Amino acid sequence: MKTIKEISSNGFAFTLARVPGSQRVLFGGADFKVYDVDFSAAKPEAKALGEHKSYVTGLALSGKIAVSGSYDGRLLWWDIDARKSIRAVDAHAKWIRKVAVSPDGKTIASVADDMVCRLWSVADGKLLHELRGHEEKTPHHYPSMLFACAFSPDGRCVATADKVGHIVVWDAVGGKSVKTLEAPGMYTWDPVQRKHSIGGIRSLAFSPDGKYVAVGGIGKIGNIDHLDGKARIEIFDWKKGEKAIEFEDDKFKGLIEHLAFQPKGDWLLGGGGANDGFFLFFDLKSKKATRHEKAAMHVRAFVLDEKVETIYAAGHGKIQVLEAKG
Amino acid sequence: MSHLRRSHFCGSPMHALDRRGFLGLAAGAAAFAADMTQLNVLQHPLLAGEMKKQQKRCILLWLAGGASQLETWDPKPGASTGGPFRAIPTSVPGIHISELMPEMAKRMKHTCIVRSLNTRNGDHGGAAQLMMRGRRDEANLKYPDLGAVLARELGQADSQVPDYVSFYFATEGRGSAPGSAGFLGSRYAPMELYTSMIPENIRRLDGIDDLDHKQRGELRDSLSKQFAKGRVSSSLGSHGEAYQRVRGLMASEKLFDVSREPQKIREKYGPTLFGEQALAARRLIEAGVPFVRVGRAWWDSHGENFETHRELVPELDHVMAALLDDLEQRGLLENTLVITLSEFGRTPGINASLGRDHFASAWSATLSGCGIQGGSVHGKTDAKGERVADGEVGAAELFATIYRALGINHQKNYHVGSRPVPLTDPGTKPIKALLA
Amino acid sequence: MRSRHLTLPLLVLGLTCSFARSAEIAPSALAVEQVVDRYIESSLQEARITPAPPADDATILRRLTLDLVGRIPTLEETQAFLASTSPNKRVESIDRLMNSSGFVRHQATEFDAMLMNGTKGSVRAYLLVALSENRSWDRIYRELMLPDENDAKLKPAGEFLRQRVRDLDKLTAEVSCLFFGVNVSCARCHDHPLVADWKQDHFFGMKSFFSRTYESGGKLAERDTGLVKFKTTKGVERQAKMMFLTGKVVPTDTLKENPADTAKKKNKKEGEKKAPPPSAPKFSARAELVKLSLEPEQRDFFARSIVNRVWYRLFGYGLVMPLDQMHSENAPSHPELLDWLARDTAEHGYDLRRLIRGLVLSKAYARDSRWEKGETPRAALFAVARVRPLAPTQLAVSLRLAVADPKTFPASLKPDEFDKRMAGLESNASGMERLFEQPGDDFQVGVGEALLFSNGERVQKELLADGGDRLLGRMQQLKNEEAVDLAVRTILSRPPRAAEKKLLGDYLQQRAAKPKEARQQIVWALLTSAEFRFNY
Repeated sequence: MKTIKEISSNGFAFTLARVPGSQRVLFGGADFKVYDVDFSAAKPEAKALGEHKSYVTGLALSGKIAVSGSYDGRLLWWDIDARKSIRAVDAHAKWIRKVAVSPDGKTIASVADDMVCRLWSVADGKLLHELRGHEEKTPHHYPSMLFACAFSPDGRCVATADKVGHIVVWDAVGGKSVKTLEAPGMYTWDPVQRKHSIGGIRSLAFSPDGKYVAVGGIGKIGNIDHLDGKARIEIFDWKKGEKAIEFEDDKFKGLIEHLAFQPKGDWLLGGGGANDGFFLFFDLKSKKATRHEKAAMHVRAFVLDEKVETIYAAGHGKIQVLEAKG
Repeated sequence: MSHLRRSHFCGSPMHALDRRGFLGLAAGAAAFAADMTQLNVLQHPLLAGEMKKQQKRCILLWLAGGASQLETWDPKPGASTGGPFRAIPTSVPGIHISELMPEMAKRMKHTCIVRSLNTRNGDHGGAAQLMMRGRRDEANLKYPDLGAVLARELGQADSQVPDYVSFYFATEGRGSAPGSAGFLGSRYAPMELYTSMIPENIRRLDGIDDLDHKQRGELRDSLSKQFAKGRVSSSLGSHGEAYQRVRGLMASEKLFDVSREPQKIREKYGPTLFGEQALAARRLIEAGVPFVRVGRAWWDSHGENFETHRELVPELDHVMAALLDDLEQRGLLENTLVITLSEFGRTPGINASLGRDHFASAWSATLSGCGIQGGSVHGKTDAKGERVADGEVGAAELFATIYRALGINHQKNYHVGSRPVPLTDPGTKPIKALLA
Repeated sequence: MRSRHLTLPLLVLGLTCSFARSAEIAPSALAVEQVVDRYIESSLQEARITPAPPADDATILRRLTLDLVGRIPTLEETQAFLASTSPNKRVESIDRLMNSSGFVRHQATEFDAMLMNGTKGSVRAYLLVALSENRSWDRIYRELMLPDENDAKLKPAGEFLRQRVRDLDKLTAEVSCLFFGVNVSCARCHDHPLVADWKQDHFFGMKSFFSRTYESGGKLAERDTGLVKFKTTKGVERQAKMMFLTGKVVPTDTLKENPADTAKKKNKKEGEKKAPPPSAPKFSARAELVKLSLEPEQRDFFARSIVNRVWYRLFGYGLVMPLDQMHSENAPSHPELLDWLARDTAEHGYDLRRLIRGLVLSKAYARDSRWEKGETPRAALFAVARVRPLAPTQLAVSLRLAVADPKTFPASLKPDEFDKRMAGLESNASGMERLFEQPGDDFQVGVGEALLFSNGERVQKELLADGGDRLLGRMQQLKNEEAVDLAVRTILSRPPRAAEKKLLGDYLQQRAAKPKEARQQIVWALLTSAEFRFNY
């Protein structure tokens, strides 16, 4: 996969959002800061908008407003043109893991290790719903983690997924649970050798037709000191409550940190990694990985542009613009 | 010949050995025997009551694989090496620990944090041996570990309870530092529990009834006593003692059964294996077991360090707090030393997998309870936690401090054959500031 | 093999260590046992101590059988020995035992434990071959130190180095302890302050023989060059010479930095994987050590150490204690005897059989282990036999044999068939030895062992189950008195005493309702008795 441009991300970058129709990207990571960078510049340079008090792990854009979430439990609203923070909300008592925006740009979803998904009004920062459906403890009595959330393409649903492989699809308007799904293969508890776990569902995406929910993570781990397990994807026909596809990659080891469907819905792109990183193209019809691309970094988040020509990716050490074709 | 044995051991400050030991084998054997006799005297009921009050004990929470000091006792919030966790204030003004340990933060008055360990060994096996023994084995001389030394020092020769119990249920790292009595021999070897909360061979088999079990033991004793007439050997003596302890140990099975505890207490420790074993440890030391190791593996977070600590530290915080509370409420804490220790800490540098690797140059351990100046911190690391900035402590000093906290002379000699071997390497000093 | 050494001239002893008594020691023509008793008795006379009387026949046979073939005697062996009126029956038994294949197996086990204790490896497979051919101790030493891994029969010998090659300080210290009886590890940090023999130069001198040894692709290898540098206590960096414990230096021009060393440090992992298969060095430092340490003027350490170690094993206490402290400041209890035995052993081609046979033929070896009058004399006087805990394999095999039907080894059995059956029994016992600890000085039996015997399922299944081929089965067919008699003779290798007959008989009597269980219980009590657990 050809790298068009790249910059250093000042350490680990965990999240990224792109201003539609542009090459302007916002990102955040382990130095607590929220940056933006315009890749149309001859020498793209990241400039900080401001900062959180811990790792920045979620970013969502709605017009000129960006909302970032952090391990500090706060959501910060940013005016990206004025380059300043316009609102701060103490959103969660524990680490915020992800932030997503509804397709109409009106609602923000945040998930955190308090195991609650909260829906917020972008316009005024008001709490709309608290979605509670994930256990705080794992079956082995350890703190669970709520890593992933995403809106359905029609904006009516939001789905959340946690460390033990429990998935809930919610009515985003009414704030009620619509369906629960289980992907226990994503929970990597090692009961014998090391007695802990590090996997969980890390990524989630609805198919463009809204029929499927795809989740990504890691399969059974041999040595849990490392991300030493096969990259794993499960796809559910969620309304039926049926698992349609269960896939473990033979080539790549590590977590699938981010998932995105091709707009037509023929294939699914996963990005992630262990020590190294990868992109994985998964064909829904043949249920096979059709393309394996090594990445220059452990990939944490990415965005496909509208024409599916370019990938903007954030990861451990870099922000990259990549050519999607291959 | 004994006068010729004058000086065949090192006398340098580094390897100095007590000259009192240069008395030949007979003296060594006699010293051993005297020790035993002394302990037997303390079996007298009146004395035993007094003894029980003073009896010191120790619980080691062994965080195998290497817990991160930065995510527990020595947080560096905001430093490039600090990671995502915040530091929180504790009940002792000026002392901050990781936000993952809110319960321990409330109970700092019992605990001393040693933040300045530099132990120079970053290999699991070697480091685990070092931190269980306080020193490296020599060629031809295997040292007893902490449990074996305490079993010897604090236990009673004919004790009806085990004197060294070790829980280690995970399989990873189990082989790195199995309990080891070293030159003290298997008399002080641990009762090790690997897979079941019931110790091996502690239950009578179905094929024999209790009376026959007892009487065949008495038959064995009569035969053996006849044989022992006119034969002097400490090995022979230990054989008889081992069998004499069998029935008492069988009766101690109930100590391992945490279901005998009130539900309220069980809930305090929590439902995890680590919690249950910590509770069993309290039951054991309460009954007179001098040393229990509760091994919690496996902390070796080369990948996803923060997720690992997010998972494991709250358990440590909860269990350790419950244990200290329980000991305090029972009046046991002043005579029970609780240690948290790993084989090493973890690198301040965060690797490409968001992991931290092995790091022995600047890491932390804690001592709580018996003989310890609680609510204190010893030593410090630099701003990024990369090296010790003040009050460096090695494995030997830590062990000397532990021995002293338990009222044991850290310079005391054992004899291996005729060779005197001090409890800690000569010249080692305990950390005075840390002792109550 | 022998003749080569017999032609050596009488050596002049005492280069660095002051053993310059060789002129005074007994003539070499005497038998080993005669010399042993002469020196031991003279020190007893000096100390005005009358030694314990000789052990009785049953005891001496048990002791010999345990020491030579690693097990208790069979019932028939005991009966035959007790019944024999031959004035030479002890010598005959020694020769019978030493000529059996059990002797080779047991010596291999013992030497393996000595050489490999504390490691995870074993050289027993090699020792079995070496000892079955009665290879000399110097040859075994050479083959362990210079293993030819291309020779399938010698390959297992490589484990000795392989288990230690990752820690060259340990390798240096352990070779010095095991083959030369000296522990130079103190001298790693500083000159030994009280023992003039040991300087830092000695430790690093010895290390220089090993510093070029490494493992590559699973094979042992050695570089041509390489040197050891060390810092003195004053902080001065010194370059070590290739120097043996006696101070003798190997002149060599290979003491230079190995270019591969620096490259290897830089890229350790890759270097190891890509390294070409090792070829033999042109100059082998290890071979130099072997050669040098066996030279007539240098061989004292080697010869004295093996004598002391074999003596220790058979007497439970060395002529020098501890075994790794053989230096000028730690005199032997019987210096002339040690000198004589070392010289005799060297002159007889380091023949282990000769040494072992000589020691077990001595009166000193054959004393009773009881001392009923007054304080027990010092161990170093060898006035009374030591009570020695059985080694793991001795115990495991003896347990198996004790519970087997005595008819498994009838008097009519031909030696070959006996050997075959015994080898089979030994291999059935194998595995159980792992439950027991290798005894060291002042060995303490742990409660784990007592619990294992008291409640272990394995003990119940393997030792107390009443299979058709068991002593128990035989006992079930007998009346109480006969059952007791058979059990004591089989398990304790001696006839029962009157008090025991009563004690055990009463036990059975009281359980007349369940004779089977009662018999099982007395077998258990005998197996777990102190008498069974020790070689006395």
